[in-house]
Amino acid sequence: MAATGSRHWRDPGAWRLIVILLFAVVTLFVLVYPAIYVLVGSFRPGGGLLSSTETLTFRNYLRIFQAGFGRFIFNSLVICVVATVVSTALSIMAAYAFSRFEFRFKRTLFMAILFGQVFPWIVLINPLFVAFATLNLINSYVGMILTYTAFTIPFSVYMLVGYLVTVPKSLDEAAIIDGASRWQVIWMIICPVMLPGFVATATYAFLLCWTEYLFALAFLTQTELKTLPLGLYQYFGDDYVDWGAVMAASVVTTLPVFLLFLPIQGRISPGRVAGAVK
Amino acid sequence: MRDRLFITTMLLPSMVLLVLFYGYPIFDNLRISFTDLSLLGMKKGGNWVGLANYRELFHSGEFNHILFNTFIWLTATSVVLRLLFGLGIALLLNTRAMRVLRLAAVSRFALLIPWATPPIVAVVIWRFLLERNGFVNDALIGLGLISQPIAFLADIRTVWPSIVLIMLWNTVPLIALSLLSSLQTVPEEYYEAAELDGATSWQTFRFVTLPFLMPAILVLGLMSVFWSFNNFVYVWLATGAGPGTFTNVLATEVYLKAFVDFRLGYSSAIGMVMAVVMGAFGILYLRLVAQRQLEETL
Repeated sequence: MAATGSRHWRDPGAWRLIVILLFAVVTLFVLVYPAIYVLVGSFRPGGGLLSSTETLTFRNYLRIFQAGFGRFIFNSLVICVVATVVSTALSIMAAYAFSRFEFRFKRTLFMAILFGQVFPWIVLINPLFVAFATLNLINSYVGMILTYTAFTIPFSVYMLVGYLVTVPKSLDEAAIIDGASRWQVIWMIICPVMLPGFVATATYAFLLCWTEYLFALAFLTQTELKTLPLGLYQYFGDDYVDWGAVMAASVVTTLPVFLLFLPIQGRISPGRVAGAVK
Repeated sequence: MRDRLFITTMLLPSMVLLVLFYGYPIFDNLRISFTDLSLLGMKKGGNWVGLANYRELFHSGEFNHILFNTFIWLTATSVVLRLLFGLGIALLLNTRAMRVLRLAAVSRFALLIPWATPPIVAVVIWRFLLERNGFVNDALIGLGLISQPIAFLADIRTVWPSIVLIMLWNTVPLIALSLLSSLQTVPEEYYEAAELDGATSWQTFRFVTLPFLMPAILVLGLMSVFWSFNNFVYVWLATGAGPGTFTNVLATEVYLKAFVDFRLGYSSAIGMVMAVVMGAFGILYLRLVAQRQLEETL
């Protein structure tokens, strides 16, 4: 790529403009087309492969829901919603302490939380599996909820501390002088002020759980307990792929992600997300 | 005193969870790696075998292949290409031509699509496009570039580039958007000064833009190393470590050894190798990222 200095483009030569446009069109195409292809494919019999029929149909969607795809959605919703609520509540508490008080090991603890964001999750699979087997937490909602709660806490605490330090401490202190307890301060002052930040954090935590694959694969083996990502991949057989079903299931999985992610993406600056992408 | 009780109450629940789910398992993983614990015999436990798992690991030819795949393909190739493409797209979006044509805003939105697409779905999308009779083969045949369709994810010549392609499509947007926001912080006067001095566009890029972007590039590169090295889903879902075990990486090997071969002890030893490598990068992370995040946040 040539220069970036915007000044150099004040009078871009025609050829330069063409090169730029060409790059732009190719880039846009590669970024967007695959997703659109799948979206359209989900309305075609066989996902659009091997069939020249242009008729659009809801058959793929009907088929997956008749075959019990709703169960996976239900499992994912239960596990992810509960894990998100618990994780966000615990994270708000921890983040409040980090943002308001000085205490011993504060920096060490916060550093440990930052490390949680780059932890090699795969290393936890074996010991957690052994522990879960002993505690009867394999194939259980509780086991998955606990795992996902722990999985989202580091990122949530980090993000929430970032929000909470922007609220002046004097606000808390004034309320406490007026006779409010710390809990009342959090519930009646911090929560309303920080609601958008809390919602963004919770949403992001939810999305991490909604699309998590590895823990679900290891800890959920019974079909009736499996989550959406596992359900999506059940259509990949050893030598046959039910593309129509896969496309429809992909759209069902991704739609809530887009709807939830787009409104909050401005709040989640790329630098912050960097730590959470797995 | 009351504050102290309050602080403890606030921190305790999350800290207990973190200790139970990060601290305890990593030590237990070390213990398991010294045993021959089997997934089928968890009740009776494993026997202590000392360093036998590690010895077996480092003497197996397959392990070298796995290390090569993990370091060279999954990590180095994907990280370097991710940064290059991310930088390229950021520079493209920052050109005046793109802004004048109002394409920058459209492209920003376009970047959100692959970014928001979950990795599990990104793999589905590309498995579909890379099918024998899928879009990519059709397009390449249509353009006359190939005469026979290629089984991209089953042919050992194309399987790694295909996996890297999937990773790039999914993760370049984040890098591009981050670098774009850094690019927009470069003061205009710097470019004016460079222009006055008669700098060529390459020189302007090399001596004005790049130094400004370098801190962001370093941090994003380092974070990329973490996500790539530890990543399980891209390889597992795209190829299942195949064809055969051709694309096996450390993360998939941990899973395969534990849950397919039932050898929890051996699998944990591989996990420890991963933990040690990541520990080394952890020091860099501490220096370059965590320290700064701490200062910025607290």
